[in-house]
Amino acid sequence: MLPFSQDAFFALFEQYNRAIWPAQIVAYVLALAALALAFWPRDGLGRIVAAILALAWAWNGAVYHVTFFATINFWADIFGAVFIVEALLLLWTGVVRGTLAFRFRGDLASWVGAALAVFAMAVYPLIGWSLGHGWPRTPVFGVAPCPMTIFTMGLVLLTDGRTPLHLVAIPVLWSLVGGTAAWFLGVAEDLALPVAGLGGLALILWHNRRILVPATAAPR
Amino acid sequence: MPSPTSRRTVLAALAGGAAALGLRGAEDAAPGPKLMRAIPSTGEEIPAIGVGSWITFNVGEDKKLRDQRTEVLRAFFARGGAVVDSSPMYGSSEAVIGYGLARIPEKRALFSATKVWTLWQGTGQRQIADSRRLWGFERFDLIQVHNLLRWESHLETLRAEKAAGRIRYIGVTTSHGRRHDELEAIMTKVPLDFVQFTYNAVDREAEQRLLPLAAERRLAIIVNRPFQQGDLIGRVSGKKLPDWAGEIDCANWAQFLLKFAVSHPAVTCVIPATSRVDHMQENMGALYGRLPDARLRLRMAQYVEGL
Repeated sequence: MLPFSQDAFFALFEQYNRAIWPAQIVAYVLALAALALAFWPRDGLGRIVAAILALAWAWNGAVYHVTFFATINFWADIFGAVFIVEALLLLWTGVVRGTLAFRFRGDLASWVGAALAVFAMAVYPLIGWSLGHGWPRTPVFGVAPCPMTIFTMGLVLLTDGRTPLHLVAIPVLWSLVGGTAAWFLGVAEDLALPVAGLGGLALILWHNRRILVPATAAPR
Repeated sequence: MPSPTSRRTVLAALAGGAAALGLRGAEDAAPGPKLMRAIPSTGEEIPAIGVGSWITFNVGEDKKLRDQRTEVLRAFFARGGAVVDSSPMYGSSEAVIGYGLARIPEKRALFSATKVWTLWQGTGQRQIADSRRLWGFERFDLIQVHNLLRWESHLETLRAEKAAGRIRYIGVTTSHGRRHDELEAIMTKVPLDFVQFTYNAVDREAEQRLLPLAAERRLAIIVNRPFQQGDLIGRVSGKKLPDWAGEIDCANWAQFLLKFAVSHPAVTCVIPATSRVDHMQENMGALYGRLPDARLRLRMAQYVEGL
């Protein structure tokens, strides 16, 4: 049982969106940049994509969860801490160690990843708008955890080489937490969250397995 | 000039008739004096219907929603209410209550009840200080340990606060019908003024041990979730109120369910939660009129069970 109503949830988003404006625009620009870098990859630019994702997770943890959501939900401080851990994991793996690269490979995982990213940026807000969750009473891409998690799942599906599972654990966990809340609150657009989380995880495991067991390694 | 009894009878019949016809406003027709119950430890009387704030008052900083909840509180006081119950666990509810109270001059009857809910005793002391700031005054009528969380150390704090005159009554709470064994043990051995737990027409486990024990130990009882967090309202929605509900001046299902809970002789106060003024008006109708006796209470429970 959630400690707040749907009305209070959307009222919080109205207050949050007005308070942080125009951060939403910045989030869109950064996300487009990250997506572009995945489609037109260059050596070392994976660090920039990872940094953008880390920034988004840190923002959602510190600003959305701890500063705003905590006023109506006693779990929000814990959510905020977990989001910041994800930001640190992305920073360490992708920026400090530089072991992440993103590339559209043309396989199933890539197509699904691109579709999730586009869904989070374009389709998600349209669904919300069509259901009456228009600006400013709506979770906006990049600065709201649910569409940002869908976008993250999309980008990690574009990881070149094996996808580090430690980067996926928290987004998948949030997809379940957020998806449950969406069910209780009747936020239909967020029902895509568990689909993205669990479906994305299945594809990542399949993708990683394909890399571990190359098709050329036929049994003798 | 008609006697109060005959007037009550006539008005009760009118209320029952209006209810049977489904007329709105029938909640105002219940006659008679306000139902008051004594706190056993002092004999002080409080109105038997209060208001809870779980979910319903947790509306954050939104001014429109805060103003609307202020109107809910205003209707509560206007209809004779006093006990307002909240908790730091309820998000912004305490702040929203404080916002409303600051805008309602006619709140002299207020009986303020909040809780302490944290793992550490030191944090609990800060939480109580925060509650004072959010509600907007220095002295609470009642502070309870929420869901028995670290109850031993928090009761130590509450006893000290009570001795210093900053709290009038102390207690412990639980909900959902959980942890009744532990609550029973605390009620048996620890000096308290209040206990709070769940009791309604379908969750009647408390009748076996907690309600008789509270009466024996002279503890005031606050009943939470009288509507089973809305599930009971959902269950009776669209169903016809029985004709005999008029015998106890019930004009709607909310009053029927509240009168079931509040009519147990050991119960001091029932705290339904609502975010709507019209629902508050309906709830507060249960503060007036006749109550069921033991036989009718059983019939009420069986009727609801059968729906």
